[in-house]
Amino acid sequence: MLELRVRHRFRGFALDVELATEGPVLGVFGPSASGKTTLLHALAGLLRPQQARIAMRGRELCVRPGGRWLPPEARQLALVTQDPLLFPHRSVRGNLAFAPGAAQRLASEAGRRVLEVLRVEPLLERGVDHLSGGERQRVALGRALLAGPELLLLDEPTSSLDAELSREVLGLLLRVKRELGVPMVFITHRAAELLALADDCAVLDAGRLVAQGPPVEVLKRPRALGVANLVGVDNLLRLPVLAHDEPGGVTLLDLGSGLRLAAPLCDALPGARVDVGFYADEVLLCLEPPAGLSARNALPCEVRAVDVLGHEVLAELRLGEIRVRARLTPLAARELGLAAGTRAVAVVKTAGIHHLG
Amino acid sequence: MPSEAEWEVVLLSVRVAALAVAASLLPGILLGWLLARWQHPLRALLQGVVMLPLVLPPVVTGYLLLFLLGRSRPLGRAWHALTGGYIAYTTAACVIAAAVVGFPLLVEAIRLAVLGVDRRLEQVSRSLGRGALDTFARVTLPLSLPGVLAGAVLSYARALGEFGATIVLAGNVAGETRTIPVAVYTLLNVRDGEAGILRLTAVSVALALAALLGSFWLSARQRRA
Repeated sequence: MLELRVRHRFRGFALDVELATEGPVLGVFGPSASGKTTLLHALAGLLRPQQARIAMRGRELCVRPGGRWLPPEARQLALVTQDPLLFPHRSVRGNLAFAPGAAQRLASEAGRRVLEVLRVEPLLERGVDHLSGGERQRVALGRALLAGPELLLLDEPTSSLDAELSREVLGLLLRVKRELGVPMVFITHRAAELLALADDCAVLDAGRLVAQGPPVEVLKRPRALGVANLVGVDNLLRLPVLAHDEPGGVTLLDLGSGLRLAAPLCDALPGARVDVGFYADEVLLCLEPPAGLSARNALPCEVRAVDVLGHEVLAELRLGEIRVRARLTPLAARELGLAAGTRAVAVVKTAGIHHLG
Repeated sequence: MPSEAEWEVVLLSVRVAALAVAASLLPGILLGWLLARWQHPLRALLQGVVMLPLVLPPVVTGYLLLFLLGRSRPLGRAWHALTGGYIAYTTAACVIAAAVVGFPLLVEAIRLAVLGVDRRLEQVSRSLGRGALDTFARVTLPLSLPGVLAGAVLSYARALGEFGATIVLAGNVAGETRTIPVAVYTLLNVRDGEAGILRLTAVSVALALAALLGSFWLSARQRRA
């Protein structure tokens, strides 16, 4: 779908990235100052890279030096930024109808569908100063979609919003992907967004591409990729569904070696693989199997490694066939006498496990 | 009450200033935009040239204009070919002098107003499919409009008071180039001119104050936008 090779140096920073993706949604992941936004601006045509070849479905947008250069307005790639950047002198309707042809699209069946998915219909006649943060981002998304882009460019669209609104906007982006079928390139530094939305993921660090692949694969090896601090020490797992216990409100997932993880009920078919995540803080360690426990998961495990990182300890555990991290204080690690080879029981609350995607 | 001749002076002043602003508006918007958005080492030089009439003695500006527009100069000959006359000592000369002297105020106000427009709004507009000119007309200009109007009002007020360049380039021809400041200067040399001076002064103060208040009101609107 998209091929790009971009080299650009400025003020002590060098971006040098080459990648091709079939999408339909490419997530670009990396720490701040890794070159994510520069890459997106090169794609949008807002930056002229010193050397580049960018092609979208075989159509060349930019070949430099000396080749074709399509200005941003001819690229059909609508940009949505962290700050919604609505035009303050126009109403919501005026913003939505801004792009060439958007007024007609707005009146068409497809346009009504966009308004419905984004729930902006009731806002149409409002001025933009009286919208909430989430409403503004919805209007910005609508404005971009009504430009009829071949590809939507999203520059951290949720990072200026609080957790609840981020989830809402992420949900909308998922609907845009599934129901409107618009391909996207989106920048994020949140692992959960990558897992939920992206089909393909490119990890940038210091201006270079350090990894590319399906998000679950990429995020499984965060330390090797130097993105551990971004992913956090969350546990991100893709596991097969064994069975559902509807009255009990849990879905049992296969950890291998006869162990099962009780996750919140989901609707995936038995045998299908689902992505789940939980924070390392959600994992408790006991040396003896606890009795009378409300948590649904008390799983025998073996400590593989103990890392001391400042004032916290990360224990890497083997649970069945998979690895999970637990975060605890140095005091707890000392009292339990944790070391590689220690056998223990890992306790995880079902409610602490989140379905991703 | 001002006499008929004095009214003629006031009306000529108002007309000259209005024409001067009207003629400088389009180039002023273009230059203000260029000076705000053009990233080039030559920009500082261009800005210096545009600002020059603000710091030069107006009489020197007038002399430079006379020099450039003189009968034997290319610009003067082009004017002659176009109109069949000479520019010096005409109402047109008055308008040119007033426009040149007011121009820096207009350009500076527009430059600041354009600088106040978030560039990212322009980038979003481009990525939504609007070209550079289209983006200027639909985003940059509407958002800097209060600043543009404030600059127009300010340069209008400056044009009303123009004396130095006018007296050199346009002289003191009743009904043609005798604007309020020139008329006041003339009356200063006339016995019993004081009453006329006072009347013209009152009109001047009223016009200038109205223009300034208008300009303040417009810049306050820009800040709120």
